[in-house]
Amino acid sequence: MASLITCPHCGVRPKEEFAIRGDASLVRPAPTASDEAWHDYVYVRANPRGRTLEHWQHVGGCRRFLVVERDTFTHEVHSVTDGAAFARENGK
Amino acid sequence: MIRDYYNRNALDEKLRGAPRPPGANHLAIGHRQAVSMVLAVAGEEDSVEKLLSSATEFTGRFSAPGEWLVVSENDTPEGLQRRLDALCSDKAHIVDQSEARVLFRISGPSMRRILAKGIGLDLDPNVFATGASANALCGHIAVNLARTGEDAFELLTPRSFAESLFDNLMTMGREYDLTAAFAA
Repeated sequence: MASLITCPHCGVRPKEEFAIRGDASLVRPAPTASDEAWHDYVYVRANPRGRTLEHWQHVGGCRRFLVVERDTFTHEVHSVTDGAAFARENGK
Repeated sequence: MIRDYYNRNALDEKLRGAPRPPGANHLAIGHRQAVSMVLAVAGEEDSVEKLLSSATEFTGRFSAPGEWLVVSENDTPEGLQRRLDALCSDKAHIVDQSEARVLFRISGPSMRRILAKGIGLDLDPNVFATGASANALCGHIAVNLARTGEDAFELLTPRSFAESLFDNLMTMGREYDLTAAFAA
């Protein structure tokens, strides 16, 4: 696991200060979507090898949600973005 | 009842008895300082930061984007609340934290080595200069760390964690003969 995360607000911090809150690439289905779509959204997760987008919360620091792009194979961290900024950029 | 919390320090039990004379590395527990949390209204973060940094009577410590902890030695909690209300009432929410936080003031030549045992922050003066502040974990306890001098730091921690953090700090500082007492 990536052991150092560069928080955009707090700087370089050890991973112990963060809590991983799951996949950040999921898109919430429409309220009227089928049960299958909701089931997939709530329960079904991939276990990718390579680059992933994840929500990390900096609980031991600024307590903001961050979107961390990291590689599950090489442990490399490619980018860390504030969750609100990420949502704005992606029009969520 | 609130008054009782303010007048009774969370570490009264720990620091019972005659105080040892302070050594070179010393931990002083703050008594009766006013602490407030300032939360900027969305969009007003920059102007609140400017107002806080322009004030001379107290210091604002960075906690999160748009959120600061303000510590004042000379004000009562009500006094600090009034002062902050006057400064930025329409731009920020102000929440009194005087009973909720305990202030640890540590200083001495070995401070950086002592803190390095529990805090994953680079405390080199070029990176974390005097006046800098940040939220961090000390062991497993969330603290707000501020540098008040070359070898002087202040930690603010939630009241219910104060005894554990005190034990942690004394263990971290045992090698360097860390002493502890209430601040004069």
